[in-house]
Amino acid sequence: MKNTPASFLTRISSLLFASCLLHLASLQVLAQDSDAQRYSNLLIRMNAIKAETRQVEDHNAITRLGRAFAYYLDKGYFGEAANLFTDHGRLMYGNDGVYIGRDRIRELLTRHGKSSMNAGPGLPFGRLNNHMHLQPLVTIGEDGTTAKARWREWGQVGNFKDKAEWTDAILENDYIKEDGVWKIAEMRLFLNFIADYQGGWAALEPQGRNWKTEVGREFRADERSPVRYKPFPEIYVPEFHYENDISAIQTPPPIEFTPRRPDDALGKLEARADAEALKLARVHAVRAVENLQAMYGYYFDKGLWSQAADLFTEDGTWEFGQMGVYQGPESIARGMSVLGPEGLEEGQLNNFPMLQAVIHVDENNERAWGRFRSDVMRTVEGRGQWGGGLYENEYVNDNGTWKITKQHYWVTYWGDYDKGWMRDGIIPVEQMSEAIPPDAPPTVVYESLPNTYVVPFHYNHPVTGEPHDDMGRLARDKAAGKNVR
Amino acid sequence: MKNSINKTLNMFPPLIESRLQMVNVSFLVSCILYLVSTSAHAQSPAELSALESELNAISTRIERLQDMEEIEILQRSYGYYVDKSLWYSLTDLWTEDGTLEIGGRGVFTGADRVFEYMNVGLSPVGPTQGLLMDHQQFQTLTTINPDGVTAELRGIAFVMSSGGWGHCYYENDFVKEDGVWKMKTLHGPFNMYSGYPIGWVDNLIYNTWPTKFPPPPDLPPSVVYLTYPSYYVEPFHYPNPVTGEPMPPHDPAAGGVAFGK
Repeated sequence: MKNTPASFLTRISSLLFASCLLHLASLQVLAQDSDAQRYSNLLIRMNAIKAETRQVEDHNAITRLGRAFAYYLDKGYFGEAANLFTDHGRLMYGNDGVYIGRDRIRELLTRHGKSSMNAGPGLPFGRLNNHMHLQPLVTIGEDGTTAKARWREWGQVGNFKDKAEWTDAILENDYIKEDGVWKIAEMRLFLNFIADYQGGWAALEPQGRNWKTEVGREFRADERSPVRYKPFPEIYVPEFHYENDISAIQTPPPIEFTPRRPDDALGKLEARADAEALKLARVHAVRAVENLQAMYGYYFDKGLWSQAADLFTEDGTWEFGQMGVYQGPESIARGMSVLGPEGLEEGQLNNFPMLQAVIHVDENNERAWGRFRSDVMRTVEGRGQWGGGLYENEYVNDNGTWKITKQHYWVTYWGDYDKGWMRDGIIPVEQMSEAIPPDAPPTVVYESLPNTYVVPFHYNHPVTGEPHDDMGRLARDKAAGKNVR
Repeated sequence: MKNSINKTLNMFPPLIESRLQMVNVSFLVSCILYLVSTSAHAQSPAELSALESELNAISTRIERLQDMEEIEILQRSYGYYVDKSLWYSLTDLWTEDGTLEIGGRGVFTGADRVFEYMNVGLSPVGPTQGLLMDHQQFQTLTTINPDGVTAELRGIAFVMSSGGWGHCYYENDFVKEDGVWKMKTLHGPFNMYSGYPIGWVDNLIYNTWPTKFPPPPDLPPSVVYLTYPSYYVEPFHYPNPVTGEPMPPHDPAAGGVAFGK
């Protein structure tokens, strides 16, 4: 997080924070142990707890809005999707321009869904319109009435016996809370590509500066897009809304100890507030870590190795497949460059979505562990590849800002796009680079598909609380003569 | 600077909850004003009891946030277990009398039958060499009901397997038993299944049915439908998050070739 505007702002706010604490400290010294003082301190704490609770509730409301939107698109509920916008809501659709108001947005979505404005919700026979909205990175504004989120849209669309297509886009959305309800004020959809299933993204031709979608050419926008860019195979990096505000990955600092409270009525309430604040901080940390991993992914996607590496602690480690372990942000950025030059080269796709988060935070809100997965869309030397793998990562709460202390990507498989991940399409896991050797060899030696293995879980079973031991239980059941395989 | 902040934080742990960002100048000023204005009075029993009620209310809200994260973990762990055929771990997610219904295979009742569905119908316990069965869990949209002990979730399994592509929905129910969330009903209608070579342009599976492979279900399918290229929408368990209106029915012509013409 060094040498970025974000760290500068963080430092400024830390200064303010420290000065606030010092002022409060001097006041507290003057009035120490007075019940009235303890009571008013508790009221201040209650307000802080309420504000933080609201912040996490808002985060959840924003992700709910995003996911509901995508579910509506899937099944042709375009009016319902448009109703998630404010009265003057705006939808920027790539280079096509900006569509303003719910009616126009509904028609735009309907046209992209190859559906009809003369009908109710639904899709015609043979239309597939899957739009998955993934990897949310949510920042709630300080005032609690505005928010921003980055999403990845992965589309699987087509028309039966006619065509099948993949689509790829980044969304940067602005939200506003009106009368207690979160709505989409503006959605900026940075379409990266629409690729025919045959050949995929590796077969895409460069577009001119005035490229538009088929729908955009027929159904003119209300305003020009505020940005003009060329989609893949050019490398375009949509704005990051969090470049100057990293509150999305911040929570209260770790609790170092719980003070002993006087055994009076007020002391009991103080102790309860301590407990609630810690419970809340840990719930909040889950969202912060989800945001952090998403942030890492959005930088990694575009080959922004230095920015991705800056999310690690000074002694953080990065391990990718069988490439070995790189330690410390500088070495990590070097290790990542094995996958391509900083910023990628033209025609290089490196999509690593961060998915299926399972996050646990320790008792003191000091450390966290996360299991994630990526299904990778990429190109290597001009050929398309699919990939899949799991992460088992570790994070640390560095005085209120969450950082990655261990990132380990376990490769399940790599597969050639044209041949698939079966038989002759299988590509073996990458080994240690000779040109840019790691600081240490792989911590675990394994082979990817056709070999299969279970990535160890950082957590015990969520219902039984026991370690995962399926193979042991199978052996015991077989020995007991049970009919299992 | 960092050290002095740390020291200050250690001295005053009760004050550190607010995130750095929120502590701006105006907050600072209001803190001081508040301290000055209230330091003159002692608190009354009524004030203490009001504070206790506030703590109770906030405690419930924080618990709902926890509930949501616990249900997400349950659903996403289900996906990690399917990936590698960890059928014991998977079955342990269910209540004793929980049910499972996937595609058109019908309803399986009870945790034992969930195990059987997987182990007899799909694969041996543990990863099989050469077999890919990734069931990626996407887009979990969770609703904790006001009772705090039941919940619902819509989700997606995006399948990349040795057989090709799959896209299915979930509308699942959860229940909290003795403080632990469990799967009560897994209802997983298929949306689209296709092979790899030409994708979903053709070469599709239109759904499964009770006798497609063993074991047989306990109950017939709760709904009969065809998947892509036909149209079926699994009802959303939640109203529109902005309008608050329940899901409108789809156009009766949806899924037809003359839809909207």
